[in-house]
Amino acid sequence: MVRTKNRTHQKRSLFAVVIVIFLAAGILCVRLGYLMVFEADRYGAMAKDLHQRERSIKAARGRIFDANGIELAGNKPVCTISVIHSQLKDPETVIKILSEKLELPEKKVRKRVEKVSSIERIKSNVEKETADEIRQYDLDGVMIDEDYKRYYPLGNLASKVLGFTGSDNQGIIGLEVKYESVLKGIDGKILTLTTAGGTEIKNAAEDRIEPVAGNDLYLSLDVNIQKYAMQAAAKVLETKQAKSVKFIAMNPKNGEIYAMVNVPEFDLNAPYTWNNGQNLSSEDKGYQDALNEMWRNACVSDTYEPGSTFKIVTATAALEDHKVTLSDTFSCPGFKIVEDRRIRCHKTAGHGTETFVQGIQNSCNPVFMEIGARVGAKRMYYYYRKLGLFDKTGIDIPGEANSIMHKEEDVGAVELATMSFGQSIQITPLQLLVAASAVVNGGKRVTPHFGVKVVSADKTYEKKLVYKEVEGAVSKETSETMKQLLESVVAEGSGKRAYIEGFRIGGKTATSEKLPRSSNRYISSFLGFAPANNPDIIAILLIDEPEGIYYGGTIAAPVVREIFENVLPYLEEVSS
Amino acid sequence: MSRKRNLEVDYVTQRSSSQRYRDSQDTVHKKLHSYYDYSLLFLTLLLCCFGLVMIYSSSSYTAQIKYGDAGYFMKKQLVAVLLGVFAMVIVSMFDYHALIDKIPGIPVRLAWIAYLAAIFLQVLVLIIGKEVNGAKRWIYIGPVSLQPSEISKVVAIIFVSFLVSAKPKVLRDFQGFLAIVVFMFPLLFLIAKENLSTAIVLFAIIIGICFVASPKKGYYFVTAFVMAGFVALYVLFGDPFRIKRFKVWLDVENEPMGYQILQGLYAVASGKLFGTGLGESMQKLGFIPEAHNDMIFSVICEELGLFGACIVVLLFMLLIWRLFVIAINAPDMFGGLLCTGILVHVAVQVLINIAVVTNSIPSTGIPLPFVSYGGTSVAILLAEIGIALSVSNRIRYERH
Repeated sequence: MVRTKNRTHQKRSLFAVVIVIFLAAGILCVRLGYLMVFEADRYGAMAKDLHQRERSIKAARGRIFDANGIELAGNKPVCTISVIHSQLKDPETVIKILSEKLELPEKKVRKRVEKVSSIERIKSNVEKETADEIRQYDLDGVMIDEDYKRYYPLGNLASKVLGFTGSDNQGIIGLEVKYESVLKGIDGKILTLTTAGGTEIKNAAEDRIEPVAGNDLYLSLDVNIQKYAMQAAAKVLETKQAKSVKFIAMNPKNGEIYAMVNVPEFDLNAPYTWNNGQNLSSEDKGYQDALNEMWRNACVSDTYEPGSTFKIVTATAALEDHKVTLSDTFSCPGFKIVEDRRIRCHKTAGHGTETFVQGIQNSCNPVFMEIGARVGAKRMYYYYRKLGLFDKTGIDIPGEANSIMHKEEDVGAVELATMSFGQSIQITPLQLLVAASAVVNGGKRVTPHFGVKVVSADKTYEKKLVYKEVEGAVSKETSETMKQLLESVVAEGSGKRAYIEGFRIGGKTATSEKLPRSSNRYISSFLGFAPANNPDIIAILLIDEPEGIYYGGTIAAPVVREIFENVLPYLEEVSS
Repeated sequence: MSRKRNLEVDYVTQRSSSQRYRDSQDTVHKKLHSYYDYSLLFLTLLLCCFGLVMIYSSSSYTAQIKYGDAGYFMKKQLVAVLLGVFAMVIVSMFDYHALIDKIPGIPVRLAWIAYLAAIFLQVLVLIIGKEVNGAKRWIYIGPVSLQPSEISKVVAIIFVSFLVSAKPKVLRDFQGFLAIVVFMFPLLFLIAKENLSTAIVLFAIIIGICFVASPKKGYYFVTAFVMAGFVALYVLFGDPFRIKRFKVWLDVENEPMGYQILQGLYAVASGKLFGTGLGESMQKLGFIPEAHNDMIFSVICEELGLFGACIVVLLFMLLIWRLFVIAINAPDMFGGLLCTGILVHVAVQVLINIAVVTNSIPSTGIPLPFVSYGGTSVAILLAEIGIALSVSNRIRYERH
């Protein structure tokens, strides 16, 4: 009987145990349900984070074309070489081949290869041929990613205008910066599933977001004109042992810039290579300053005392204000006494008695001091303002400088006299060019610019770029008069070395003495336009610190003539 | 009634119990039919096959990388399963009373020999065992590796059942229970030294059998309280390694040591209701270390979802129910206790394994019976089911 009782209570106990087990299993199922339903999204997201590796696909940067559709900036396929530590099978061979092919010191490669990280970049911007050679070895753990690198087919042409991009394909100077938002595409993404070791899982559906290529930019810059100009500028830089030569050629009617030269230029494909024997290394003090100096677009970023070319502005103001007529006569004894100062003419013997027309042809300082005084400071500043000399021109190049002028209330007779022939003020060559354009184009103040249109990579979208123009800066009559006057400067006066037979050319020379005056350093310049009666091109050339003869009429005017000799027939051909 | 008395007589007279038993059955209950629990057999085979599929699914990626053969682990497991099924069938055909019979020519019972052999193996593993991850758990004999602690589990089931059914009265007081624990102490100690998790399972088996057999339950609850106190003290002042596991359990998302558990949780949660589909687990691709071992349930959850996971739990519960049915219908106490031990063994491993995977308890390495990779484990479990089947084979019932 005891046994039966035993068995009964044993069965009951076992039943209790089983019930407890079932209860525990039920609780675990509830726990599972909680995890798999309510926590699923949170843990799921954490897990997905873990599994997905994001790789970006670089979008091709928009290209830059000149007025003829010639590529100025494009993209070249390059490769990035990386190693995936966990997949390396033979690190020694990898180190040997990579250091050999990539021309890197073995120590440096070894350090990166042996570093325990999921992925380590060895070198980017590797030429495609080199990468293909490495690919031939089929090394485990070596990854080659294709990429684009900015490439400038014409090397140093218009280097300071175009600018270049950094390693991240972002513009650093020039148009590349200004049009960053246009040129830059939208990077795509590949989301791949990976194992814990970081290996991509084949056949797994990958999320791919396609990159959008940047828009192409079309410029007014003409490669042919730029080339002529650069050659001529480089030649005079060489012969006159000058510090630099700047040249801008623009369509005065709409502000489209045909050429902008700053010699010495630098190689856009090697922007960190010195162009002028600076030979500073990156450790040297002043390295960055020297680089910035080399990259600086002086045509827009530097101001100077314009000198006699500024007489165009003074003459325009006097004519507009009816303070002078062409037949007015003046007398030049070689100087003019202004208050207590005796301000000299460049011709110390004096020009004697001369008409206003002759005064311009002779570039006679006392004549301009006289008419400047007639206009007066207040009216003079009014005309400066109308010609845009107090404003940046608004050119589509970063880093534009503004003029440095006397405060209007500080302008006395002496200041007014010196300003009349272009001294004691500082403007950029571009500001002068814009003012002169308004004078010769019938009075329209244009915005100088390079960018003409933006076209999407697939050519489905095109946008013309528009720029501000202000009419009435100069009256039509004054404009006509000034064109005749400036044509006579070239035909008969100080600018005769710019004369080309068969073409009507207007212009004005200048020789500005750099500050301090005693240093005998000069900027020789010439501003010219053609055809004189209805100009299609206006250009300014500046020779900074020439050796030997430094008169603008002697050294700058012939350079512009040389350029015009090539460009004028070319423009005729293009327009017809 | 007479049957029970007969058994008692068997021990006293030391006759072959199985022989004696068979005689009595044949002569007394001729009208009754024998019973063989095909449900249990079917459930076991189903779980084993399911285990093979899941081992292949969870290990093929790492096996391909490590051994160049995606089926490496699955094939090894298959061999163990085949051996285990063979053992199961053979064992189920024998009368389980043979376990407490004396071996012809030697005046010792098989249970005792098994007990001593288990102790010998546990000592041996400490001497010649191969150290893996800082613990000596395997004995290598040629290409075959053996985990003595798994053998010790089945030996414990047999030996404790034998002790208790031989002298059921000892369990009426606490000293009797302690006496059994003292008997099992050498095994417990030797195992706990290298593998605390297995020692816990072994202890659970011992307590389970004693609890069911004992007419007085009070002191088990007292023991449980005392044990809980010891565990608390251990956690507070003991081994920093175990304390760390508690901390990881409490803050699995931020503890760096929680990596494996967290990866398991990612897998479980990724499964959602219906899973990602068989073979589609992401977490098995190296995220869960040795996904085919103790963490295999997390891959099941990920691939088969809450639905699949609950079905697997249900299968185990059905298996436990069958063992329960056999245990309460067992012809004698020894058979009932054997089934109780097997039931506790399977149940404890299933519950602890799933609880660890779901981070319901601090992590400890216990395989999921029949499913997790581990040759010795699955072969021994199959042999245990063979014993249960053998017990079921002795049930006689009247056909209506």
